[in-house]
Amino acid sequence: MTDKSAEQSRDFYRQDVKVGVYVCHCGGNISDIIDVEDVARDLSDYPGVSVSRNYIFMCSSTGQGLVEEDIRTKGINRVVIAACSPALHELTFRGTLERAGLNPYLYEHVNIREQGSWVHKSNKKAATEKSKKLIRAAVEKICRQNPLEAIRVNAARSIAVIGGGVAGMSAALSLGRQGFNVYLIEKENRLGGKLNSLWKAYPSEEDGEKTLEELEKDISSLNNINIYLESEVKKIDGYVGNFSVEIVKKGSPEKIKVGALVITTGYVHYIPFEGEYAYKTTKKVVTLPDFIEMLKDDEKNGSLKNVKSVAFIHCVGSRQNPSLDKPQKDEKVNDYCSRTCCTSALFRIKQLLEKYPDKKIFDFYRDIRTYGLQHESYYEELSKKGVLFFRYPEDTRPQVEVKGDKLEVKSKDILTWNEEVSVEVDMVVLLTGVMPADISVIVDDLKLPIGSDRFILEAHPKLRPVEVPNLGIYIGGTAQAPMDLLEAAYGGKAAASKASMLLSKGEISLDPFVASVNPELCDGCEKCIGECLYPGAIVMENGKAKVIPALCKGCGACAAVCHTRAINVAGYSLEQIDAMVEAISKE
Amino acid sequence: MQAEKMETDVFILGTGIAGMQAALDVADAGKNVVMVDKSPSIGGKMISLSKVFPTLDCASCITTPRMASVSHHKKITTFTYSEVRFIRKEAGRFRINFVKKPRYVIEEKCISCGKCEDICPVLIKDEFEQNLGAKKAISIPFTNAIPQYPVLDMEHCIACGACARVCPAECIDFSQKEREYELTASAVILSTGFEITPMNAKEEYGGGKFKNVISPLQMERLLAPHGPFSGVVRPSDGKIPDSIAFVQCAGSRDKSIGVPYCSRICCMYSIKQAQLLSGALPLADMTIYYMDIRAFGKGYEQFYQNAKAMGINFVKAKVGKIEELESGNLRLHIERQEGESLPEEVEHDMVVLSQGIRPTPEENFRNINGISRNEYGFIHLPSVPTFPNATGIDGIFAAGAAVGPKDIVDAVQDAGSAAIDALNYIKRTSR
Amino acid sequence: MGEIKSDKILIITTISNSYPGADAVGQSHLEYDPDTYIIRLPDPVLLPEDFYLKAYSKGIAGIIVMSSGSDCPYEGAYERLAQRVQKIYDKMKENGISISRLKLTTICTVCKAAFLKEIKGMRENIEKLKAVKDAS
Repeated sequence: MTDKSAEQSRDFYRQDVKVGVYVCHCGGNISDIIDVEDVARDLSDYPGVSVSRNYIFMCSSTGQGLVEEDIRTKGINRVVIAACSPALHELTFRGTLERAGLNPYLYEHVNIREQGSWVHKSNKKAATEKSKKLIRAAVEKICRQNPLEAIRVNAARSIAVIGGGVAGMSAALSLGRQGFNVYLIEKENRLGGKLNSLWKAYPSEEDGEKTLEELEKDISSLNNINIYLESEVKKIDGYVGNFSVEIVKKGSPEKIKVGALVITTGYVHYIPFEGEYAYKTTKKVVTLPDFIEMLKDDEKNGSLKNVKSVAFIHCVGSRQNPSLDKPQKDEKVNDYCSRTCCTSALFRIKQLLEKYPDKKIFDFYRDIRTYGLQHESYYEELSKKGVLFFRYPEDTRPQVEVKGDKLEVKSKDILTWNEEVSVEVDMVVLLTGVMPADISVIVDDLKLPIGSDRFILEAHPKLRPVEVPNLGIYIGGTAQAPMDLLEAAYGGKAAASKASMLLSKGEISLDPFVASVNPELCDGCEKCIGECLYPGAIVMENGKAKVIPALCKGCGACAAVCHTRAINVAGYSLEQIDAMVEAISKE
Repeated sequence: MQAEKMETDVFILGTGIAGMQAALDVADAGKNVVMVDKSPSIGGKMISLSKVFPTLDCASCITTPRMASVSHHKKITTFTYSEVRFIRKEAGRFRINFVKKPRYVIEEKCISCGKCEDICPVLIKDEFEQNLGAKKAISIPFTNAIPQYPVLDMEHCIACGACARVCPAECIDFSQKEREYELTASAVILSTGFEITPMNAKEEYGGGKFKNVISPLQMERLLAPHGPFSGVVRPSDGKIPDSIAFVQCAGSRDKSIGVPYCSRICCMYSIKQAQLLSGALPLADMTIYYMDIRAFGKGYEQFYQNAKAMGINFVKAKVGKIEELESGNLRLHIERQEGESLPEEVEHDMVVLSQGIRPTPEENFRNINGISRNEYGFIHLPSVPTFPNATGIDGIFAAGAAVGPKDIVDAVQDAGSAAIDALNYIKRTSR
Repeated sequence: MGEIKSDKILIITTISNSYPGADAVGQSHLEYDPDTYIIRLPDPVLLPEDFYLKAYSKGIAGIIVMSSGSDCPYEGAYERLAQRVQKIYDKMKENGISISRLKLTTICTVCKAAFLKEIKGMRENIEKLKAVKDAS
């Protein structure tokens, strides 16, 4: 809907209501069962109705022309069309009204085909009577309808990307290329996040440093990306189009205004407790990131030369069970799969064996989850190279004990009749999982939903995978779930895509079907706030409730609890619904 | 025949969940999109599923609104039942030639009433129902297809003319010809999806031969609330099965069948189907024979653990071969990989073979100049991970399972990523 | 509370799920009771408790609330709705209205059989109540 059409709108709320009713035959689909002429005749006498017609195909250009003509010449200012399902033609007819200069929301669609003639074939009379009642109800509803306008919110053409790892960098780059003013906020003194410590990464085996340099080069080539290193977010408020973010950059505070937020705050590695698989009781038990550092160091110094045998233990800090594993501070264990450790481990073992083919490797796993295209080949290759795989049962954990210079790893092995196996090794690598980075300031300020796995919970994994319920906030990468490098890049860019879409027009246009408060009726009881499903969507102002349209989703939970009926969802006011039921009840 | 000329900003090939996501993102950013799909409805494979893991949302409840958004979007034009002949990059822009095959129905006049379908006397196999049911030779592709126009299967039509006589809008046109279009676009997104490994990939399992060895998509239809039999029954005799087996990796992780990789979705869809079956058939036993359970996505591990808690049997075993018994039951020769690993024979009423994902055939890419494929046959992405949707041709991006097996969640994420790449490409080249 | 005179069944549907579900029933040309009236809302959570009581007082014989259940696009709305319906049941009892006149259910976009079953069930409930009254 354009401003122009709103200006041209012939409708004014207090003007006398003149309803036009149009009953479609649908070429016999409706009229073979429902007596459309009788229905149209019946409605012509109904209070508020000025014109009532029936026509063979309302959706045809002639049918639509009838409506346009009546709006222009007969002063029709409300339209009811009884035809097929609104899924097919509701938007068609809204367009008809718009073309004739009438607000498109002064239109009500009645479904007398899918929910009329097609389901009441053997009872033509009842189907006809039912249609009359439903159309009367629609007339009652539309008589009580004000014109609606899309809600417009001015929006800053700038975006804060919080977290400068691969997801954040990919997001910032995509948004920068779209011409937005981007603030890329990173707490460390260099961008890249975990890319800094990945070294050679699967599957391309390219050096993380090289990938990082490429991204850094691209980012620095755009002067509309402002990089904030050694910076942290202290406070965020506002809503879509108008967020205000307080940043502390190298100790000094700064405030920025942005239209949208992209949260790519990433993950931290699980750190085993002291004594968990003998961790911290000996330096010979290391985590996966430690091992990557060692491999990197070995390239120069040959530091792994004397390590003859290594045991790898999967699912440390992942797929945990509360009766076997020690919980985190929040008293929950990590019951999720960390997704990347299997492939990462096998890839690192492959690297080790390429340099030292004689090393003895023992791998204690639960399921090998090498799901990616190339990943399965690592598994196959290692099996051929003599890596010994042991599958430990879900209800046990391998035991690690220090035995002199060696470590003893004991475990049950499902693959060999649940036998207890024991190996002596020089080193144990714990394949530690991932957990979301601590972003409690952001979570609290934005009231972000958090899943039981502590990662940010998206609004819907398939329909709105990088969104949260509140508009203007997008999530990407490992702040959302464990992901590998490539997947995090996709996630960051998907979030950028949504943010770009939102801010592309300089203002945000929102559906008009949101709640609003009649301040004359509101007595400030605040019940609506308690019932609202969207934090911050209703606020108190001068003792009255007020809806922030940009945050309201129009579910109407608030309307149901307002004892003075001061709050209603546009297009679905309780007054309208009551009037519809009244019309249906009447004989 | 004169090709109709059109112009757009972004051309998207494939209207599955990835293509739809990319189209909506591009169009909502204000650019025009033209989409082409070979199927008579948009929606891809997802629209035929029952429920989706791990949330157990009803698949059609998620896909239908998405399809409606695409078809109602002012900036998106969709061409269904159409095939691309070539995509060529010429002077920095893309020339796309495609033909719209005749439905023998005049779409502009059709009111989607289905009268033609009701009266048509010819029954043919219903691919949407995975051949478990029949449809008419002229029919709307499926309940919530978009667009809701019927397609006449000329091959099976007996030319009785009944449909033309009954049509109130006079829109049956037996002489309809294919229409050729010549489109110029600034950028291209390929979201051509995937194919499924054949049921007989491993002949020893009897897929495609034994009646009660069914495909996972057939099981989806049996489980769908609007499926072909309104319930889960055996194809051979309509019996309600008491014991159902899932054989994992029946089309994946096996070099000998040309699919060396993991198909990523099979573990999860089998667990989901087993969960849904234990709801639909509370008395039936469900057994999943597997190598590794790969529940790696968000919420998947918890979903797997729930399935175990529900009493679904997970057996780590290799299935050697399957025999069909006189009763229609199946005998599985298995070798357990846990406990007593002796060869064993087990009997089930019904078997679901976990088919995997394979790339769409090579000829689909032959006419897209310069697109290369990786060693597995999926679209090659040369700039991973810094530019992860870029194909070998600047301006053509790929999304979804066209680049490798992907579940819906992952496909949707990377479709959004491809959308912003296409927008940025337009921005860069229009300067 | 006034006597319920009509046989009308009011069906509250959601734009996202149960309304398209009702369309799917139509597309399959399945028949059901014509004395049924479908109202389309963003979500039934919008309706206050007194809406239901007023509807019965106007003569509506039964109300089926076809929510989106766990597929609801409004996170948390279904729980609110379910709690509200509990309260409505209490009020119905207070007012001498049989609680079998109100049913909360979940209908998806293709749940055709369930849709028909709910209508049949509500009709049976209404008939049973009539029979009891006739007998007394």
